[in-house]
Amino acid sequence: MNGSLRQSMAWLHTWSGLLLGWLLVAVFVTGTSAYYREEISLWMEPELHQSTASDDTMDLAWQTLGRIAPEARSWDISLPDARNPAVQLRWQPAGEEQPRQGGGRNRGEQAWMDAGSGEVLTPRETRGGHFLYRFHFELYGVPRLWARWLICVATMFMLVAIISGVITHKKIFKDFFTFRPGKGQRSWLDAHNASAVLALPFHFMITYSGLLLFMVMLMPWGIDAAYDGDRRAFFDEAFPRSTEAPGPAGEPADMVAIGPLAEATAARFERPVSRIEVQHPNRENARIRISVEQDVAISGRRRGGSPTQVFQGSSGDLLETIEPSQAPAPLMGKVYNVMTNLHLVRFADPVVRLLFFFSGLAGSAMVATGMLLWVSKRTQQLRRQQPGAALKLVNGLNMASITGLLAAIGAYFAANRLLPTALAERSSWEIRVFFLVWLVSLVHGLLRPHRRGWIEQLAVITVLWLALPFVDMATTDSHLFSAAAWRLGALAGFDLICLLLGALWGYTLWRVARPKPDKRKPARARQPALAEGNT
Amino acid sequence: MTVLLALALGYTGLTCLALGMKRHHQELLGRKPTEARLRLFKAIGWLLLLATTAACLMLWPLGLALSMVPILVTLVGLPLIFLLPYRPALARHLAWALPLVAGGLAVGGLG
Repeated sequence: MNGSLRQSMAWLHTWSGLLLGWLLVAVFVTGTSAYYREEISLWMEPELHQSTASDDTMDLAWQTLGRIAPEARSWDISLPDARNPAVQLRWQPAGEEQPRQGGGRNRGEQAWMDAGSGEVLTPRETRGGHFLYRFHFELYGVPRLWARWLICVATMFMLVAIISGVITHKKIFKDFFTFRPGKGQRSWLDAHNASAVLALPFHFMITYSGLLLFMVMLMPWGIDAAYDGDRRAFFDEAFPRSTEAPGPAGEPADMVAIGPLAEATAARFERPVSRIEVQHPNRENARIRISVEQDVAISGRRRGGSPTQVFQGSSGDLLETIEPSQAPAPLMGKVYNVMTNLHLVRFADPVVRLLFFFSGLAGSAMVATGMLLWVSKRTQQLRRQQPGAALKLVNGLNMASITGLLAAIGAYFAANRLLPTALAERSSWEIRVFFLVWLVSLVHGLLRPHRRGWIEQLAVITVLWLALPFVDMATTDSHLFSAAAWRLGALAGFDLICLLLGALWGYTLWRVARPKPDKRKPARARQPALAEGNT
Repeated sequence: MTVLLALALGYTGLTCLALGMKRHHQELLGRKPTEARLRLFKAIGWLLLLATTAACLMLWPLGLALSMVPILVTLVGLPLIFLLPYRPALARHLAWALPLVAGGLAVGGLG
């Protein structure tokens, strides 16, 4: 009984893992990059890099909005923080609100402002890190709902693979620290086990919380039934927040200077101001909401709830002080919050973010080693016969989903620097480069013989990723050897991570490509399966 | 209290747990262990993992701290697994050197 259960679980693990593994690698890799999506976006908009905050930043933003959007229905100013040096200005243009396509609130107009000089910056057109972030849960160019369902199903099978994998694993504690190098399939199994078992809590957490996030997105029927189709009511109950509808605009009137109000708020909460929202700017009923950065507790709410003060715009009178909310969330809300906060790393701590990033890399390696193990096992069973079409297909897809994706991401970054800034539909072209490179790697992977294919693709990604910091150096003023890159940290970090990952690909290339002393029994080869596929 | 120290304690804890297993004990120290020694290493290993947990609790609020413990252990465990077959001596020396260095940095206020 036990044996047959284990066998059926092994079957389930093998095939669910293989079929969805190609998609899951992409989800894991792009999802891991999403921990740094703000930093990636910043890197991809070098026009913003020279901006530095000063004491005048708030006044400058006030003046700039007064100049470019004096008639707007509302203003929204996001001040520079540790992750972003420029000021983001948003406003709702005057006139009736146009409902956005597909429902939801219209986000209005937006512009970037240099925090030091107040001039409006026009960064190159790019989707930045948000393209990779979006890709990890809704792909690209596929109808959004379909794509989300597809990824949701893949996530579900990831959970299935985790559970069936644990049941299949024969000696989970005895082999806890075991890695036996140079044993072909055995070594791949050990590597797969090591990255899976040790990181099991992380994998489980990230998969389960991913499913929770999808739950609200895709399966609202339970909520609809309980709340009579009023989904808003569910969110209001789970995540209470104040909602007030703005009245009609009043007569034109001057507003007071923003500086003293912001100073008062910063002093009241003993934290710097992060955001200023204005309803009906330059009207007699103007209301200025000034918020400071919020401490994000792990079970806290995702949005809203920042400590805020509300002022009357024309007189500067304090109308309301909204304390950081202490109200305990309901238990359901708390569980949901802990899980989603962990998935989204919604806390400012950069160390935690880095640790999650490395865990994400380990997770990607876990899926990838599983897929390589599949090929390795069947290559060893060949006993030096020619590999069949199915094996070749799986290997080609493996190549495209691992090295191909890394090549595509590298090319996406390089395209950001190398495409002319004035190019029409520039952000689409960056994405086209991404998919073209990915497609080329798939065709290449299917056509080239096994081992040569891997060597060539590894060589390409090594060169590509190591070249990125140098391309940066040639095309921007905020490269690795500039003060701006180190002032912002994220920019230097981006280039350093590229070098680090490039070196890692290079090391892998060296392990795969070096000649074997003995063809039958490679002494310490990490990719013996790949070596044998060529013979 | 620094993240580096928490990581170092986790590494040493895991190494001790490995030393508490017959096969890895021989691999790392080159001699057959007695049952008592294995039990001792296991106990030390678990105590050090408890210390890692304590360090996390000092660093972060409760919910995040408990989530970070397995993540820290994962991140130091992966290198350990690959050090064991390739560089057992290095794995052994890191187990006492890392906490010393991290502790020194923490005391010196540099970490």
